[in-house]
Amino acid sequence: MVADIRPLAAVLVSAVAIVLIIASHRRPNLREGWSVVAALAKFGIIVSMLPAVMDGTVFAWSLRESTGIQFLAGIDFALRADPLGIFFALLASFLWIFTSFYAIGYMRGLDEHAQTRFFASFAASLSAAVGIAFAANLVTIFVFYELLSLVTYPLVAHNEDSEARIAGRKYITYTFFGGGVFLLAGTVMIYWLTSLVHSGPTLAFEAGGMEALATAAQAEPIYAQTAFFLLIAGFGVKAALMPLHSWLADAMVAPTPVSGLLHAVAVVKSGAFGIARVILEVYGPGLIHDLPLDVPGIGTVGLNIPVAIVAAFTLTAASIIAMRKDHLKRRLAYSTTAQLSYIVLGLSMLHPYAIVGALFHIPAHAFAKLTLFFCAGSIHVETHTDYISEMAGIGKRMPLTMTAFTVGAAGMAGLPPIAGFVSKFYMLLGAGSMGGEYWLFAAALLLSAVLNIAYFWPVVYTAFFESEERHDAKPLLEFPRGGLVESYADGSDADIAADGGQPTDGEADRSDPERPAEDEDGDYEYAVDEYPSDAEVPDGDHVSSVDHHGDFDDHLTGGPPADGWPRRSPITETTWLMLAPIAVIAIGAVVLGIGPDYAVFLDLARQIVGDVFGLPFEDVTALPFDRLVTGVPN
Amino acid sequence: MSSVDLLLPLLIAVPILAATLPIALGLWVDRTGWPVAALTTSALFAGAIALASVVSTRGEAVTHTLGDYPRTYGIELVADQFSILIVLLVTAVATGVLVYTRQGGPRGNTFYTAYLLLTAGLLGISLTGDVFNLFVFLEITSLATYALVASGDGPEAAVASLKYLILGTIAASMYLIGVAFVFMATGTLNMLELAEAIPGAESQTLLHTGVAFIVVGFAVKVAQWPLHTWQPSAYQQAPDGVTPLIAALVSTASAYAFGRLLVTVFGVEYLTAMPNAAAVVLTIGCVSVLAGTILAVIQTEVKRMLAYSSVSQFGLVIAAYGVVIAGSSETAFIGAAIHLVGHGLVKAGLFLGVALVARSYDARTVDEYAGLAKSRPIVAGAIAVLLLSLVGVPPGVGFVGKWYIALGAVQSELWPVAAVIFLSTMLTLAYAARLLEKMYFTPPARADPLHAPAPVATDGGNAGSDESDAEPTRDEPGAAIAAIRGDRSAAPVSTGMVAIVVLAAIGAVALGFSGGTIAELLDPFLTKVIN
Amino acid sequence: MIESLFSHYTYVLVFVLLGLGIYMVIASKNLVKKLIGVNLFQTAIFLFFISMAYIDAEDASAPIVPKDGVPLKVMVASPLPQVIVLTAIVVGIALTAVGLALIIRIYAEYGTLREDTLREVRADE
Repeated sequence: MVADIRPLAAVLVSAVAIVLIIASHRRPNLREGWSVVAALAKFGIIVSMLPAVMDGTVFAWSLRESTGIQFLAGIDFALRADPLGIFFALLASFLWIFTSFYAIGYMRGLDEHAQTRFFASFAASLSAAVGIAFAANLVTIFVFYELLSLVTYPLVAHNEDSEARIAGRKYITYTFFGGGVFLLAGTVMIYWLTSLVHSGPTLAFEAGGMEALATAAQAEPIYAQTAFFLLIAGFGVKAALMPLHSWLADAMVAPTPVSGLLHAVAVVKSGAFGIARVILEVYGPGLIHDLPLDVPGIGTVGLNIPVAIVAAFTLTAASIIAMRKDHLKRRLAYSTTAQLSYIVLGLSMLHPYAIVGALFHIPAHAFAKLTLFFCAGSIHVETHTDYISEMAGIGKRMPLTMTAFTVGAAGMAGLPPIAGFVSKFYMLLGAGSMGGEYWLFAAALLLSAVLNIAYFWPVVYTAFFESEERHDAKPLLEFPRGGLVESYADGSDADIAADGGQPTDGEADRSDPERPAEDEDGDYEYAVDEYPSDAEVPDGDHVSSVDHHGDFDDHLTGGPPADGWPRRSPITETTWLMLAPIAVIAIGAVVLGIGPDYAVFLDLARQIVGDVFGLPFEDVTALPFDRLVTGVPN
Repeated sequence: MSSVDLLLPLLIAVPILAATLPIALGLWVDRTGWPVAALTTSALFAGAIALASVVSTRGEAVTHTLGDYPRTYGIELVADQFSILIVLLVTAVATGVLVYTRQGGPRGNTFYTAYLLLTAGLLGISLTGDVFNLFVFLEITSLATYALVASGDGPEAAVASLKYLILGTIAASMYLIGVAFVFMATGTLNMLELAEAIPGAESQTLLHTGVAFIVVGFAVKVAQWPLHTWQPSAYQQAPDGVTPLIAALVSTASAYAFGRLLVTVFGVEYLTAMPNAAAVVLTIGCVSVLAGTILAVIQTEVKRMLAYSSVSQFGLVIAAYGVVIAGSSETAFIGAAIHLVGHGLVKAGLFLGVALVARSYDARTVDEYAGLAKSRPIVAGAIAVLLLSLVGVPPGVGFVGKWYIALGAVQSELWPVAAVIFLSTMLTLAYAARLLEKMYFTPPARADPLHAPAPVATDGGNAGSDESDAEPTRDEPGAAIAAIRGDRSAAPVSTGMVAIVVLAAIGAVALGFSGGTIAELLDPFLTKVIN
Repeated sequence: MIESLFSHYTYVLVFVLLGLGIYMVIASKNLVKKLIGVNLFQTAIFLFFISMAYIDAEDASAPIVPKDGVPLKVMVASPLPQVIVLTAIVVGIALTAVGLALIIRIYAEYGTLREDTLREVRADE
């Protein structure tokens, strides 16, 4: 532990930027300049700590030691740059740089309102995310976790229309329920449990688990289990574990840079990161494994099994739901839900390999998913197209974007040489090493890879290999049983009942200009072009009802223009402000996949796992798992 | 320094004497009220700080016996670590609210007389060491409050005040009956002597009856469900400049007095042994938390909403007292003390903000707050911060209080109480988020045509004053009312008014870092009364 | 039980008065009568204090001013309740005055003293 101001500086640099951003609200260029400067400064500070941290140094800053103020009796407000913290902070701050540029292009491209609030909240979110990364104890992480919920709320409710407000309400309800109720309750219980043992109350993270907690858990196993599940539920809300996931899809009404960086990286990963802290540094794999849970009818299982089951269920179910979503961002959101559960599943399998895989999946998924979101946003800005069924042939309009999309999609599915492959490989290795019922989880992982392809391939296929005149009906699964009315612009029951998949209905009585192709198997020759763009709209009300399912109340309908997509070169397809970030992030995803050994994340992940088990990583993997957990110093 | 104990009678006597000045001087000079009040409260604040520093460095209570009569039948004033917190809160808020009333009114010399009397009564409640004297100060406070509430415009204020008067008097009388029973059983009125006499008293029945009456009396004074009915209408009908003061201080002082009686006079040990005492107090608190919030959520008037929020927040304090009794939990007591101070500060700031908005836009319902963030970004921001600290978002002060109370409940293994406390975050959020959403994410609604003469709507308004990018005209018809709002801003709002709301918001966050400090401050007190 | 009721008949009377007072507050529709009820309630408390100050003992004398300048072992009445009651009466008078002032204002505005009429009048406005 080396006392150092840098963890605090890394948190505060974007907090300072908030003030500057608000102060320069009259000068957009200066304002966005501060965003970029803050992003670079933040990344710089974090990178400056990286070499030392990889050599085993831990930088720490504590409110009590530096100012003498005690945050709560017996609890310090402390930040600590340890390998796990650096891991997350490095990722978030690196991606923020590119997201800043992208956000400028995106917000200006759409001429959005309240951009000052947007950029200020964005900077605040990054402060909170890095705070979560560097938090040294449960109370500090709780503080930043709540702040993160708070400052992302304006981003979700950004549009200020009723859809955004409802999404915002849902978002803040879910996240505060997770943070303010579950997480706080869990934290209080941990504090109480550790106060029962001789060494006194503590909440500070310790690699491999808190010793005091391990002692207390032997005396009060029931309460220790309750606290574990409370903490997992608290972080699980942000990690979108089912059944606490539904805020994520609704939060997609936010501008795309928000969906990209926050709802695919910073916010949701802070949930996954929190679960990592709980499993690795609060309870520790040993304690979780040794604190069995009596399940009537099944027998005793480790505490990790319920979590793993929830995660496995989530990743399968979310993938299936994703297939049914025609709105691209919503499909991506469900894909995020699924991918986050990979991380949780990997962590909860407890095997060193699985943990390495889970940790490495944090950046792997971040790069790939950010690429996908950037592509979705760029399509939206350029063509106002949000629905996959309208994207037929869009590959020639936006060649580079769609190529990057393909790379990201391959990463999601875990195809080599994209980063997703490496993490899934490690997780499978971990599941295999554990054996027994863990094969089930391995099966879920493999199944999900197939499902990933199933829901991403149609997008790629329709973009490149179909044309606006001739294409299949999309999406892959249409009219889900029970009728998912919300995905359809004109979702009255009568309408659905009427077409029922029958191609015989003419289009004459259709009042819906948005979704002509989707529910018609035949007659697609003129489907898209019947009401091209926003011309000749039969009924004004329908336009706004369509827009409520899109992202923005901008009165522009999507889909190709009347004469089809124009062919553009990769250079002119959109502004450089958006193209460059897309390209860089997509390349990053490939680099992580080709040379994981050279990118720092895998090294860091190995180091984290080594610290957790108290041995160098090579030795950790050489030992059988049972020896490993009993050998963990408790 | 031996004369420091003189500060105690001075803190009470000075405002009482100064209260006569506005009326007396008013015979010759107009508008003397404000300067007198400002001078007095500032002096009191300085005195409170001096006293606080002495108490905290000494680590023990400063006492003063009035007239040197022995405390058996004389009156003793005590400033210990618990009371000094309330004294600081009272003097700070009393000084701060004056910044608003200078321009915001109500004006008139008699108003400031009542203002100073109220301050004196509150300081008396905080400092007295005598249970009957406590009754007298409770009544001085109440009398001044009735007068202040009644000074609101319109006859509704008089009705609200009378309702308050009848319930408040009954409550104080209940307390007095309780005192009578306790006095009967022990023969003394001094708190410290009572504390010694009570455990060994012969007739425990008398004492139990006394406790019962005292609990009921304070349940009314602190506005606990279902005895809260006086409070929302009193808060709502009181003049805007008065509500911050009474909302922040009057119930807080009563809750303080209740806590004082519980831990100092009866003693935790005694109450723990007393059958049902803990259960009753816990139930009152928990039910109030839930009922107060539900009532707050369904209100349309912002002031009423905040008033019901007080019911639920004081429910937390009372529940914390219950935890103290049930589990001898020092932690819960720290939580109660912090929550008292924190809630007082937050509510003062919120009601000041509400007064400011009402003054500039005549906006009083939640719906009328739509779009406030655009027209008054600073005030809206301060209100948002205050609301969030009320919810318990760290590092606001609400979180600190809640943390200790929850920790106390968990340590005492009172799981239902702990559940209520954790859920209270969500419940508070339910009404706080409603206001936040209106202020920030709702464009102003279409004006009622009756109140929106067309010509006014055309004059541009103040759109784009705080946003660099042009305000796009949204679907929802909003521009019209925004213009009217700008136009209606007839009553000037001084920088001081805005500053005091911002100061309260900063204070609420700063106090959020004081959890450890306050716990340390209270430590000697707690070791004395609990162990 | 009955014996103790007889020996403590003042207490019984006090609580009857208390009951009467609170009943008036709750049941009477007239605001002035409500206030009188409050007064009655308070007066009962004063009597309660006074009666508890009485100590039945043989060699007792008035407090504060003892017989022959030598304090006796037992005094007839404790001085404290007297002081308390005196103070409480003052408080009570102040309250009554404020209450009556409020009632006058309500009467001037609404022209009624009855609670139910008042509610109707206010509802109409």
